This record gives sequence, C-alpha cells and structure tokens, in this order.
Amino acid sequence: MANITKKVSWSSRGDESALVGEETPLLNGSEQPRPLRQMSSGNTIFQIDRLSTVDLEEEITTEEDPGRGRPNEIPHNEKLLSLKFESLDYDNIENQLFLEEERRMSFMSFRCLEISRWVICGLIGFLTGLIACFIDIVVEQLAGIKYKVIKENIVKFTEAGGLSISLILWAGLNSSFVMLGAVMVAFFEPIAAGSGIPQIKCYLNGIKIPRVVRLKTLVIKVCGVICSVVGGLAVGKEGPMIHSGAVVAAGVSQGRSTSLKRDFKIFEYFRRDTEKRDFVSAGAAAGVSAAFGAPVGGVLFALEEGASFWNQMLTWRIFFASMISTFTLNFFLSIYHNKPGDLSNPGLINFGRFESEAMAYNLYEIPLFIAMGAVGGILGALFNFLNYWLTIFRIRYVHRPCLQVMEAMLVAAVTATVAFTMIYFSTDCQPLGPDHTEEYPLQLFCADGEYNSMATAFFNTPERSVRSLFHNPRGTYNSLTLGLFTLTYFLLACWTYGLAVSAGVFIPSLLIGAAWGRLCGILLASTTSTASMWADPGKYALIGAAAQLGGIVRMTLSLTVIMVEATGNVTYGLPIMLVLMTAKIVGDYFQEGLYDIHIKLQSVPFLHWEAPATSHWLIAREVMSSPVTCLNRIEKVGTIVDILSNTSTNHNGFPVVVQVSADDEPAKLCGLILRSQLIVLLKHKVFVELARTRLTQRKLQLKDFRDAYPRFPPIQSIHVSQDERECMMDLTEFMNPTPYTVPLETSLPRVFKLFRALGLRHLVVVDDENRVVGLVTRKDLARYHLGKHGLEELQLAQT
Amino acid sequence: MKTRKSWVVWSDGRKQSSFLAMSLHRDILFFVLISVSIHAFGVIDAVDVTASVSAAKPQQAPSYLSPGSSAVVSSPVFKPAVDSALSIGLLSSFPEDLEISEYCTELLRLFGQRYVTYVVCLVPAARPVKVCQDCSTSYKSLTEVFLNISSDQMGPGNVSCRDSILRSDRLMLVFLLYSNLDTIWQKSNCQQCVTNDLKGPNNDTLYFLTLLNQTITCFEKYKQGNLTEVCKNCEVTYKRLNELYSGMEKNNTLCIDLEDAMNMTRKLWSNNFACSVHREETVPVIAVSSFMLFLPIIFYLSSFLHSEQKKRKLIHPKRAKSYTSLMNIQDKQS
Repeated sequence: MANITKKVSWSSRGDESALVGEETPLLNGSEQPRPLRQMSSGNTIFQIDRLSTVDLEEEITTEEDPGRGRPNEIPHNEKLLSLKFESLDYDNIENQLFLEEERRMSFMSFRCLEISRWVICGLIGFLTGLIACFIDIVVEQLAGIKYKVIKENIVKFTEAGGLSISLILWAGLNSSFVMLGAVMVAFFEPIAAGSGIPQIKCYLNGIKIPRVVRLKTLVIKVCGVICSVVGGLAVGKEGPMIHSGAVVAAGVSQGRSTSLKRDFKIFEYFRRDTEKRDFVSAGAAAGVSAAFGAPVGGVLFALEEGASFWNQMLTWRIFFASMISTFTLNFFLSIYHNKPGDLSNPGLINFGRFESEAMAYNLYEIPLFIAMGAVGGILGALFNFLNYWLTIFRIRYVHRPCLQVMEAMLVAAVTATVAFTMIYFSTDCQPLGPDHTEEYPLQLFCADGEYNSMATAFFNTPERSVRSLFHNPRGTYNSLTLGLFTLTYFLLACWTYGLAVSAGVFIPSLLIGAAWGRLCGILLASTTSTASMWADPGKYALIGAAAQLGGIVRMTLSLTVIMVEATGNVTYGLPIMLVLMTAKIVGDYFQEGLYDIHIKLQSVPFLHWEAPATSHWLIAREVMSSPVTCLNRIEKVGTIVDILSNTSTNHNGFPVVVQVSADDEPAKLCGLILRSQLIVLLKHKVFVELARTRLTQRKLQLKDFRDAYPRFPPIQSIHVSQDERECMMDLTEFMNPTPYTVPLETSLPRVFKLFRALGLRHLVVVDDENRVVGLVTRKDLARYHLGKHGLEELQLAQT
Repeated sequence: MKTRKSWVVWSDGRKQSSFLAMSLHRDILFFVLISVSIHAFGVIDAVDVTASVSAAKPQQAPSYLSPGSSAVVSSPVFKPAVDSALSIGLLSSFPEDLEISEYCTELLRLFGQRYVTYVVCLVPAARPVKVCQDCSTSYKSLTEVFLNISSDQMGPGNVSCRDSILRSDRLMLVFLLYSNLDTIWQKSNCQQCVTNDLKGPNNDTLYFLTLLNQTITCFEKYKQGNLTEVCKNCEVTYKRLNELYSGMEKNNTLCIDLEDAMNMTRKLWSNNFACSVHREETVPVIAVSSFMLFLPIIFYLSSFLHSEQKKRKLIHPKRAKSYTSLMNIQDKQS
C-alpha cells in the first residue's frame, strides 16, 4: 500500500518538475524514481503552519524567490535538524602516534588502566549516591519547613477566616522557590532544563550536546531540581539524577575540571570521546540506580539507550557503579534517619514493600491488568500529544529567559491554587490510620479527628503521595477524590514538563497512574459483592502507575526491571511487563514517546535502533554530501587555515588525499583527519619547514591532543603569521590512515548499520578507484525518518 | 483446617470440665480461650508453613492420646484440684526427674488464677475502652508470676520452672497464653497512662480525665436546648481538652483509653452537635483562585501576540550535483 501511494506522489512530483523545466539529467534518473524531500501532504500541513504564523508579506516574497540567495526562514517545527550538534569521535584514530604509544606501554600499565577504570566506576557510583542523598535530604528539609509554615497558617485561618491569605501564601512560596530554580536554569544553563534524560539519551547515542556534561550544568541541575520539587511543581527528582550521574561520570573520568580550571593529572588516558562515553553510560546507570534503588534496571537503562557499542567488561563495570551508587545512598540515608547500617532506603523513590497477602494477584486479573495497560497507553499518548503542542508553542514564543522564568512562576502559582481549591472544596474526610505516612495532615472543615483526604494527595511531596496511594488501606480515598486528582494532576504535569526548570516526569506519571489505578481498584471492589477477591486497591495503583509511566516514556526492558526492583517483588514481573508492553503498543499507535518527541523538537540528529523501513532503495550516492573538502597529504598551512575558518561550512572531518593528476579529478583517498587534530597541529606549529630548522623540537605526542580535549580552541584564537601561511604541513603521521569507506551503491540501511554499530562520525564514499566522491555524516542519515506518509526528509537548520 | 478443629474440640472439653471451677465466668473464659487459640494457631501456622509436613506427623500422637485424656477431664467425677489429675493420669508413670516439681505446679496454679483475673477484668472494659485504668494492677500481678516462671534463677529446691513449664512441648501453652495478653497490653499502649509501678493512672491521665469529665458534663448540661448553645458554651473546655490531647499525641503519651474517650468526645462535638468549622468564605477563595488561573491565559496570549516568533534558517547542504537541482525544484514547490 505504502509503495503505491508513494509512486503516485512521485509521478505527480515528476510532472511538476518537468513543467518547471529545471530538471537536469540524473545519474540514475531514468532507472528509478527520485527520492523526495517531502511528501505532498506533509507539505500542505507545513504550509498551513506557516501561513498561520508568518505575516503575509514575507510569505509572498518567499513564494516568489524560493531558497535562492538568502536563506529560507521557517518557524521551528519537529522536522528539522540542527547544525549545532556534532557526533562524538567514538571511533579510535589509529594513527602513527597511537601505535607508538601503544608500543611504549608495558603490560603493567595496561593492567593499571584496567584497574583505574574500576576505580573510576566506583567513584562514579559513590559520588552519584552522595548527590542523590544530598538532594533527598535538602528537599525533605525544605519541603518540611514549607509545609509546616503553610499548615500552621491554614490552621490559624480556618477558624479565624481569611483562608484566601493562606492560598496566596502557598502560591507565593511556591513561586519564589520555582523562580529561584528557573532563573538559574534559564539564565545560566538552559541545557539543565527538563529531566535530562533526552539529552543523556542523545549523548549515549553518540551526539555531542554542547555543555551537557559540565560541572556547571551539574550544580545548576541539582539546585534547580531542589527548587522545583520544593516549589511544589508536579515534578520528580528522579530523572535529573540520571543526568547528574552522567555529569559526575564525565567529570571523574577526566580527572580534571575545565570549569574550575583544575587538573588533577590523573586518568589522562581517558581523555577522549570513546572512554568518556563509556563512563557516561556508567554514570547514567548509577543515576537510575540511585533514583529508583534499581541497580539492574540502571544497567539495562544504559544498555537500552546506548546499546550500539557494548562489551561485556563494560557492562560488568557499569553494574559495579550502579551497585555502589545504590549502596552509598542507602548507607548515608540510614545515617540520616538515625539508623546507621539499616539498609532499607535503596532509592530516592521508595515504593514500599509489596509483600503482604492482599498484594498477591491471580491469573484472572491479568486480562484486567492488560486492559489497564491499554488505558495507560491512551492516556500517555494524550499526555504526549498535549505536551508536544505546548513545547512547540514554547520554542516559538516563550524563548526569552525572562519569559521562561515568568512562565515557570505562573505554573507554580497555579499548581498551588488548584491544589488549594481542590482541598478547600473536597468533602472527603477520613480518619487517619495509626501508622499513617502523611506528615502534614490537614483538617480544614472535617470533623475533629478526621482529615481531608484530598490534602493527603496534594499537600505533600509527590513521592509521598505515590507511596500513600500504593499502601494506604482501602477507604483512605473515595473515588471522586481520586478522579478529580487524576484529572488535575494530569493537566498540571503535562503543563509542567518542558518548563525551564530541571525536573523529571517519572514521579508525576507514577502519581497520575497510581491515582487512576487505585480508582479502578475501588470501582472493581464495589462492583463485585465478593470484595475480598479484588482485595487491595494498592495493587491496582501499582499497575496503573506502571501503565501510565510506560504510556508516557515508552521505555521497555529497563522500565520493567526498574519497576520490579522498586517494588521489591519479583512476582510482579509478569504483570508489569505485560502492562508496559500493552501501553507501548497502544501508545505508539498514536504518538511517540515523550523523550523522543523532545529529542525531535530539539532538532537532534538522533539515530534510532534501525534505519527507517522501506529505505533500501536509497543509496550512498543520494545520501552523501558532495563535493567533499579534501586536504592533501602535504598541505599548505594557509589552505588549512582558510578551510577551517570558513564559517559557512564548518566541517569537522577532512579526507586526506594524494593528488594523482593536476586537473579537477577527485583524488585518491589515503586517510582522514579531524578538525580538532588540525587545530592542535596548528597550535603547536608542526610545519615541515620548522621541523627542518629546529631539529631538537619535541615530537608531538598523543598526550598533546588529549590535553586540548574536550574544548579545542576555535580556529580564530590561533595566530598564524603571513610567513607561516606559506609553510607546509605533513599530515601523514596524524591522520587516521584507515578510515571506513563504502562504495557509491551501498544502501542506506547498510550505511546506517555501520554508523550505529561502530559509532562513526565520518564515512567516506569512494568510487571504484578509491577516489573520494562524498562523505556521509550523522546528519545525512538522521534526516530520513518514517513519517505518517512514508519516508520523509528533515531539513537542516541553524538554531 | 483439621488442626483448628481439634483446637476447638480441646477448648470445648475444657469448658465442660469446668476445670477452673469458675462457673460464673465460664462463658467469658470460653470466648477468650477460643480467640486465644485461633490467634495462636495463626501464629504457629505462620511459623510452620514450610514445616507443614512435619507438623502433620505429631498430629497423630494427640489423636490417639486424646480419647483417654478427654475422658479424664470430662468425667463427672473429676475433682477441681490439679494433683488429682496427676494421680489418675498418665503423668504419674513418668520417672521422677521428668516430673514437674511442686514449686512449679504452684506457680502454674497462680498463673492460672491471675490470668483469669486479668481476663475477667479486660472483657467488661472493652467498650468504652478502660483497659488501662481498670486492669493495670491485674496485668502487673500476671507479669510477676510469669517473670517468676520464666526467670532462670533457681527457686526453692534448686529447680527452674522455665524449662519444665515453658519449653517442654510443642504447644508452649503458658507462653502462648501470656504472649497473647501481653500483645493486648502492648497494643493498648497502657504503659503511657499508668504510673511506673502499674498501680493506677498517672497524673497526666488524671488531669486529662478531669478535663474530659468537665467537657462531658457541659455537654450534658446544654444538650437539651439548642445545639448551638452547646457549641458556644462548651467551646472553651472542649478546646482545652483538644489542645491537651494534641499535645499528648505529639509526645506519644497516649493510651487507648484516652484515645477512645477523645474519639467519642470529638464525634459528639463534630457529628452530634455539628460544632466543627464550616465553609464560609467561599467567595474570596474563588475570587483569588480565578484570578490566579486567569494569569497564565494573559501570559500566553501576550507572549503569542507580542513576542517575535523564533525562526530557523534553513541550510542547504552540499549534495551531489543532480540533487541540488532537485532541491531547488522542491523549494519552488513549497
């Protein structure tokens, strides 16, 4: 079917192009239809979009003069690829310097390297656990103070009158906390916004997201998440832990901090993208493990997100980091709770024990669970859909930092207002159990000795609310309360995600799901007379939470394991897995996962697990960029400087060629050199002429390249005099002599597999005589994606 | 299931035997024993889930023993004294060193007596709860006996009753009985309300009870007239009582007696007299919250209208020659 529709649109397109008469004979034009940049229906949507948002005059001019002369400007949308993202250099450069170094290294030093890898992983786990512990304690303390102040105020005004003042106090306190967090994020480090999971996902995918693993980002992330959780937003502190762990890993493994300008002169060997990325995956795992008390889930998260480059030793080390992380958190929290040695707080979110008799499930409940999974998928898709449009609006209109801060403050104030109104008008009063978990029960208009049940859900940190939904005995909430709570929290959480505050979406999702899951449990119990059969609403709360979370984030394997580990009951493995599967299948039918949506909206060239289906007809010739800027093996310094300083191209990898003949013929490939290497070479003035005059000059080593990593100076900062411009540079020693190449006819999925599996950054396309004809980079591959109308192509844009 | 049945039969037998010769409280005792036995069965069951196979085997032994013993206890000529049972029963045939000593028998008898006293005290105090005020002395005496039994110090004649009474059999009846009552004591949290020597209510409790009585008297006084009268006139005492209670709650110095009394009072106050606070200032709350909810709408509208839209510059990548022309065509079409 898809093929037919495609053919139709091709033919129509072909006619039009013939009418225009600009068609030039193609290499392959006669044999097969040409690939399309965009399908016609996609185009119309696109145009409507544009008409609605751009004033007409400009629209007309662009119509008249399409893409010629000045660049096209379009409003931000999801079908773009940003130029600011680059790939990581995961592939090892096996140049002569590298071989020399390897020869010099003894067997012992290799062993030492291996040991230091373990030490680093241990440190990553330890520090991540410490950070988690810090966040947890600070949030608990600050939130405690906040709720105490508000509670006292409410109690005072319940009798005296003037509860609207309490409302204003609550909203004001929330806004001021959130303002603090939003100011930090919006003005100092915008990359720290959100949960950070999309960014880490991209990093593990092999994309260098600027500033994502810096110390400054970590500091702002940690402070920001404290502010936003204390500020009472519908957010959690778990997602940011993953980002924090990743930053810790990137920092520790490098043995220095460029932000603090401190170099500890350790772990110098690990200063390159390959090693750093491996450690970052360990850090992400440690973060997951600290957040949920799920060490295995952490490992699987790293596996699921960064699975393209995997080895068993690395997995083992990642597991070590995870374990250390959860243990550290556990240990320090036990000290904080005055029970040193009692290791019962494995994660930031503690689901509590699901071990009682009533929590057991029966076979006949599994279809019910699956149905709940489907509901979770639908609700998740709705959540993602709403958030998608909100995010587009935010990118287009709310992009100035002060506006972002204002927006965050407004959300905080409205969250407090909504919560207060719900509590105020709720008539659901319940007596408090002997072992209640609520620390701040509000009585308000309830009878003495009873407490407002809505307040136990709203007037609390989200983690505690989740736990009380899971574990409070039957009859703690009535169904109206739960229904209203689900609805409002759904909208609030959807509105909150994507604000310029650092905060995660895990806990709000769990909370929404737990609320409607518990509602399901209560309704089931009320429909059947044998209420004991559907004993515990907490069980359904758990399943609902899993379904909602799965419907929103669409993670598979790792999420299942995380949930199972967080509940601490392996028998829940099957229902949780089934629920997550159903939620994913149902949700994917409507809309992508939340993280994928945000990755797309950030215009990141993300490579998915596999090449888009039905793309085998695309070959390297069509995919590649061409012509390629090549360098000669012995190149004039002036040429190199000019190429590097050309801002319009900003290439990063240059095939090194040997000129066969003098004319314009493409030359034969003999290697590949990176911009960063060239810059180091220019900085150290490794010119042929200088080497002749100064024989004593120290030979350049791999260490010099590592020292400049990761912030290579821009070309503008390197001064090259007029005389030096005439010198020559010999690249033989430094280039990668064996770059990966593919012939012109290689299909897209093949190229894709090479990229994904090897973590390539540049792939040279050569003809049958080994002459460079093109270069494939990540952006060339990532622009193809399977849309609603078949294969679509994304456009490159400057952001 | 089978085991439980046999337990019931057993207690039934006890009842018929009027073993303790207290016909007045027989029914109560029966009730307590049943509840105790069921509870104890639950405990044993929980412990022995894995050992159910081994548990099934000893089952056989009592089943062929029981006809004889039950015949003994239910026989009409049965005498109330314990030693008479010894003279008739199987136990007399055991060798000297396995037999239970005189001293321990005495302790056991004492334990039984005090046990009954405590239970007899507890049951009428169940509703309204007064277990701490009324029964702490009898609990104390029970504990003393049990401590004597369970202490590893030698009694007269160099005998320790701990092993012979508490640990000789699988049932460990004395221990079970005691631990059940002890659980009741722990759960009721009476420790907090009575003096350290368990003689009677402590000062805090007495003070609380005085206040409580004042409040109840006040309620009684105004109950007949308009209910708003109650709210108006008794508010001061009620508030004092409530505050005292909240303070004690915070210090964890509450026991079940006070909790129950307070619960009842609060129910009277809130439900019967409807004196709790009513929702009155709905209008200002609605006004403030609708103002708050209105703010984001203004914000989004104004940013939509006044903020310039973020535009992206499209870049045209270098492609093989044929495709750059194709790109142009497409641009024209868009």
